[in-house]
Amino acid sequence: MRESQNPYILEMRNIFKSFGGVNALRDVSFQCRPGTVHALVGENGAGKSTLIKILAGALLPDSGEIIFKGQKHQSFSTRKALNSGISVIYQELALVSQMTVAENIFLGREPRKYFGIVDKKRLKIEAKKLLKQLGFEVDMDMEVGEMTVAYQQMVEIAKALSKNADLIIMDEPSAILAGHELDQLFLIIESLKKRGVTIIYISHRLEEVFRIANEVTILKDGQLVGTKPIKDLSRGELVKMMVGRTLEEVFPVSFNQLGNPVLQVEEISTKTILNQVSFNLREGEILGVAGMVGSGRTELARAIFGADPLTSGTIKIKGQDVVFKNPADAIRSKISLVPEDRKNHGLFTKLSILNNITLPILSKISRWGFTDKKKENEIVERERQIHSIDMTSGNQEVQYLSGGNQQKVVLSKSLQTIPEVIIMDEPTRGVDVGAKFEIYQLIRQLNKDGIAILMISSELPEILGLSDRILVMREGKIVAELTPNETNEEMIIEFATTNTQQSVP
Amino acid sequence: MKRSFFQKHAIILIVYALILVLVVIGAFNSEHFLTLRNLTNVMRQAAYLGTAALGEMMVILIAGIDLSVGSLVKLCVLVSAILMDGDPDNVWMAVSLTLGLGLSVGLIHAFLINELNMSPFVVTFASLFILKGISLSITTKPIGRASRDFLMLYSEKIAGIYVIIFFFIILILMMMFLLNKTIFGKHIYAIGGNLSVAQLSGISVKRVRYGVYSLCSVLAAATGLLWLMRMGVGDPVIGNGLELNVIIAVVIGGTSLFGGRGTVIGVLGGVLLLTFTDNLLVILGVSQFYSGLIKGLIFVAAVSLYKMENR
Repeated sequence: MRESQNPYILEMRNIFKSFGGVNALRDVSFQCRPGTVHALVGENGAGKSTLIKILAGALLPDSGEIIFKGQKHQSFSTRKALNSGISVIYQELALVSQMTVAENIFLGREPRKYFGIVDKKRLKIEAKKLLKQLGFEVDMDMEVGEMTVAYQQMVEIAKALSKNADLIIMDEPSAILAGHELDQLFLIIESLKKRGVTIIYISHRLEEVFRIANEVTILKDGQLVGTKPIKDLSRGELVKMMVGRTLEEVFPVSFNQLGNPVLQVEEISTKTILNQVSFNLREGEILGVAGMVGSGRTELARAIFGADPLTSGTIKIKGQDVVFKNPADAIRSKISLVPEDRKNHGLFTKLSILNNITLPILSKISRWGFTDKKKENEIVERERQIHSIDMTSGNQEVQYLSGGNQQKVVLSKSLQTIPEVIIMDEPTRGVDVGAKFEIYQLIRQLNKDGIAILMISSELPEILGLSDRILVMREGKIVAELTPNETNEEMIIEFATTNTQQSVP
Repeated sequence: MKRSFFQKHAIILIVYALILVLVVIGAFNSEHFLTLRNLTNVMRQAAYLGTAALGEMMVILIAGIDLSVGSLVKLCVLVSAILMDGDPDNVWMAVSLTLGLGLSVGLIHAFLINELNMSPFVVTFASLFILKGISLSITTKPIGRASRDFLMLYSEKIAGIYVIIFFFIILILMMMFLLNKTIFGKHIYAIGGNLSVAQLSGISVKRVRYGVYSLCSVLAAATGLLWLMRMGVGDPVIGNGLELNVIIAVVIGGTSLFGGRGTVIGVLGGVLLLTFTDNLLVILGVSQFYSGLIKGLIFVAAVSLYKMENR
């Protein structure tokens, strides 16, 4: 058979890869048809990232082969992958924040005049053209670090297009997008498909997989579960293939024992974006905060936690006025924050699990400034059981845990100070279905213990499924307060995007 | 979302404002300060620190560091003086071999960093001692001699401007061109800005490192030649502590020690600020022993101003 009769643009055959004795991939094979969207799903730690890195040339497989456009490769180098038409859009966007939009798009492939001199004019014109195709118009001289993540992602896609990529791999592109941004992404994906570009789409959000994928490949524990056309699968079957068990109930029931207000926020504003924000949070309540990226959700968390100074307004804890000059003040008042970006703000990834968890309470469990190793080990063992953290020992470095387990460590760390109010910013970002469920259960449990939770999330099912009340933010203001039984995703999106405001009762 | 002109160029404006402050102080305290003669002298001196600083700047831009600059300058002064040995016929040979020595040192640094994965700090710190050790084992007293015409170049003028200043201006223009207009320059900023992104974009990080460390060491060798031009002999005292002055100049000039951010104009400002400080101390008759103290204070003042601006 001649290679050109191959119906697949990409075939990966019998890929094996291990890291220091741990098998990340065992005998994984899969194929992609040209001009389709091929979803790659599986829990964190299933081996998706490893497979993608091999395809991008960032990792070498131990054995196996890659056949791309009829050409057989033992392995790829980054450059070889790029040159043959494979582009990857990583979850952590691969942009240099100090460089401009145009420079980023053509990084490594700058248009040149002669003697290696960059043709700046052409650089800008070409970049502008690409972004226009995607329906975006931005200042080409703007530094990427000054843009919102949604825009940064568009820059990434433009970058892939500029490489004339035949295969674009998107690693959880929706994790950082919300609402209309996501629709925009899907429109772009459709138009890429029409041009004959193949897309490998990795996501934790199954509804997206059903919406745009033609075929889906499922990985579990480094092994192939199967590849199927999406129309042959139901949501339940897919979850079952991924997790190996059914999720009867994703959202545990609410106990709904609301007490007195713990946190009262009155007309606070900040230099960042917040404009006269007010709300109450009661004991045992889960208050969901929805809104688009950039609507001021994260800024709200930062302001309450004392990370950004208030320009006006007051915060009361149990009826008493408080002023937080810094996060340490907030922690002393029994507030805890689970930040959005766990790798940069939530964890010391190069420290052990033990050091991470006990850090906030070191002074309490130390004597004369010496830490008590025995006590620390007890705490970690207790936390491991409570949160079912999957780890080899307390001395394991956090960076080697899966996203879900890392998030459990963050949660456990923030609980050490025995907070009364917990602010959670995107508690399940980049976490797989199984771990999500466990985190939801944990949130409910905290809730039952009377802890008040302010939960910021882009995932509307999560907001609707867990919250007792929902606040919707737009442009630094609260534009609506809703109750989950009386609202739905469309309504929340309506408030979050359009210029409507709830009539205040 | 866009930052204003002032915000974007705040560091450069601060550096040049500080230079202006020094100039005003100088002008009010000495009639000799604001003379053409003194100012051209300052410019000529700035070329010494500046040549080495521009090389160091590139290394710092890729989030590296080169601590060996001072020792390499020292070794190159000695080597070039010995090779030239007062004979005009030896000038080209001595100059090219000295620059070649610089090139080899830079390539070795890059090799150890690239191929053996050693940290730039460790490699160049070791190099600081090794190169100094070689120099001092050659001689502890002045040695060799520049040829007469080579020595004359120090006070040679073209159209009323010192040749050395011309050289420095050309170097500045070349560096600006290299960093802003060439692909090599873009890749330098990219590597310093985000190493893994640069790698994933298919940039050959190793090749850029070879280029940057070589250029830094070649410029250090050139600084050594400039010193021979000034001293006429190979004096082993030259280059002591130079690497620290160079790094301070680069950082005062607004170059981030984490890489990815910095401009030639900024570094030039840093160099001029330090050179004016030295000049002012001499003119005001302040003991040279205070030089370090005052430069340290200026360093802290400048960087704290940047931080305040950033808030």
